[in-house]
Amino acid sequence: MQRPSFRARLVVNVVTWVVVLAVAFPLIWMVLTSIKPQSELFRIPPTFLPQSITFEHYWRLLTETPFLNYFRNSMVLSISTTAVVIVVATLGSYSLVRFRYRGREALATLVLFTYLLPSVVLIIPLYLMMVGLGLSNTVFSLVIAYTTFALPYALWLLRSFMAGIPEDLESAALVDGASRIGAFVDVILPQALPGIISTALFTFILSWNEYLYALVLVNSDSVRPLTTGVMNMLITSFNIEWSLLMAASVMMSVPLIIIFAFLQSFLTRGFGAGAVKG
Amino acid sequence: MAEVVFEKVRKAFGAAVAVEGLDLAIEDGEFVSLLGPSGCGKTTTLRMLAGLEQPTGGSIRIGETVVNGVPPAKRDIAMVFQSYALYPHMTVAQNMAYPLKKRGIREPERGERVLAAARLLELEPLLARKPRQLSGGQQQRVALGRALVRQPRAFLLDEPLSNLDAKLRAHMRAELIELHRRIGCTMVYVTHDQLEAMTMSTRIAVMNKGVLQQFATPSEIYHRPANTFVAGFIGTPSMTLHEAELTRHGKDWRIEKGGFQLDLPSRHVDAVAAGGPVQFAIRPEDISVGEGSRPATVRVVEPTGHETILILDCGGVDLTARVPGDVRLRSGENVTVSIRADRVHVFDGVHGGRLNTDAPGNSAAAFVSRSRGDH
Ligand SMILES: Nc1ncnc2c1ncn2[C@@H]1O[C@H](COP(=O)(O)OP(=O)(O)OP(=O)(O)O)[C@@H](O)[C@H]1O
Ligand SMILES: [Mg+2]
Repeated sequence: MQRPSFRARLVVNVVTWVVVLAVAFPLIWMVLTSIKPQSELFRIPPTFLPQSITFEHYWRLLTETPFLNYFRNSMVLSISTTAVVIVVATLGSYSLVRFRYRGREALATLVLFTYLLPSVVLIIPLYLMMVGLGLSNTVFSLVIAYTTFALPYALWLLRSFMAGIPEDLESAALVDGASRIGAFVDVILPQALPGIISTALFTFILSWNEYLYALVLVNSDSVRPLTTGVMNMLITSFNIEWSLLMAASVMMSVPLIIIFAFLQSFLTRGFGAGAVKG
Repeated sequence: MAEVVFEKVRKAFGAAVAVEGLDLAIEDGEFVSLLGPSGCGKTTTLRMLAGLEQPTGGSIRIGETVVNGVPPAKRDIAMVFQSYALYPHMTVAQNMAYPLKKRGIREPERGERVLAAARLLELEPLLARKPRQLSGGQQQRVALGRALVRQPRAFLLDEPLSNLDAKLRAHMRAELIELHRRIGCTMVYVTHDQLEAMTMSTRIAVMNKGVLQQFATPSEIYHRPANTFVAGFIGTPSMTLHEAELTRHGKDWRIEKGGFQLDLPSRHVDAVAAGGPVQFAIRPEDISVGEGSRPATVRVVEPTGHETILILDCGGVDLTARVPGDVRLRSGENVTVSIRADRVHVFDGVHGGRLNTDAPGNSAAAFVSRSRGDH
């Protein structure tokens, strides 16, 4: 292949950096705002770099507000949802790909169909169901709700991953003396791992950032997740606590950044090649 | 070690029939090759035997037990897959150790057996690699190694040498024959390669379109093909089949096609089938060029080095013959040929069955017990 000319590379680089900056600027502004003293926030003209750095907002957030409580709720909620979705979607997608039974294709299509419904349509019925089950105002009700919309997508994502795993691999494991479950664990799971990790990431982010369902299904402070909790606490009709809000936003982003950094090496490690003759 | 018996086995995938009415009795310790064109049901037959595919009908027996419905792990069979099916996330050593691990064989025995197989297959330097870091031939040897670490009741090998170079293939062929002689284990071997099937097998099962055509020793398959398919499929160069009329001629039989006539000894053809349309074929080695008095014209000359394949026009019938490589002939040249009439293969013109009086039953007597020398 021909090396692109200097001009072409320059254009590509400039465009890329413009896009990166446009995306990153609000995030940078968020971090900067969270470490500026209150007095500097609304100065005109605005300062870009803070003249003095303070962590008082973080301190106040952690000690004087229920932030940590919301944080814990969000963690429990997102981890549980991810766990449930991954277990069900992994087994479900495997079944959809490997076993032949009546209505298999119809089921797969139907699952996708539920994903196509706007989630707003489902809130009220879900809320009524939760009340009926006596689950309203619990973290568990949110786990169920999030599962309903994360699962269909997860199933489809994993189904394509599973379909890419050669059937002969599993056959070989069976002949080599593994049970069906054994072959699944020894051969299918390691092959599907990149898919499982991406799906887990997707589900975690979805549950971590979800707002609408949390707003409707949960209204007691002790079970609120971060999204609704922070909004409820810092945005009142009189006042928006910008510094606190920004500090909270930074801390909300930290877990996602950590998880991404940790899992990215897994995702790019490159599984799967050379399984069977092409 | 065990005998393997297929009884009226049928396998259909929806409307597509992959295997039909398969009756095959493989004796304990035999080395049987499944030979046939692509898509004839060889892999399907192996997969049914391994328990990976349930037969639509009929029964399969390994040793004393009917194995229909028995899961693969309980059949104690080792299989080399046509696609290799190496576990990509495991190293070569782990791949080969996997079946041992699953059968509860512990270290250090596990490691020793892996090492022994690796040595046999010249894989020792590659033990720490992942499959994707291997060439096709190396992968194929690992697949073979994963089967050879065990001592199963039967080995199923689905074209295990197809991707090796000529030298390594010859070497592995010798190793497999040696291995079979040493452990005397039942082996079912799928191949496209006639030479492989002819040299390695105690018996060959020739299949076509899911139907077993003939199950007999290599020599029987070659010298007494049971029908037109086997006759045309086995042998390089292959025999050409010609449609002709078979008539009584005094005490003898006479084959006639246009200007071509050939008298066959009276005992050569089954009298019941007398008269009517037939197909006949002649092996190249049963035609002697430059002898006899039958005139022929050279149509095509194909030198291969040590010998030259000739296509001759003999009274309107194309005959394939071979002459030594140093015989100089050009197309268009006129020669004389003699045909060994007692070796001509005659088949029914309609259903293609063999009409020669020596038509084979798959008699057990024909089983040359090469494999049993050590018993
Ligand atoms: N899972 C399947 N679903 C549908 N049809 C199948 C399936 N497996 C095999 N077949 C069909 O059954 C027939 C026999 O296939 P099989 O794989 O046994 O052929 P083969 O003799 O091993 O061929 P090759 O020499 O090319 O490997 C083929 O026509 C194939 O298309
Ligand atoms: Mg095959």
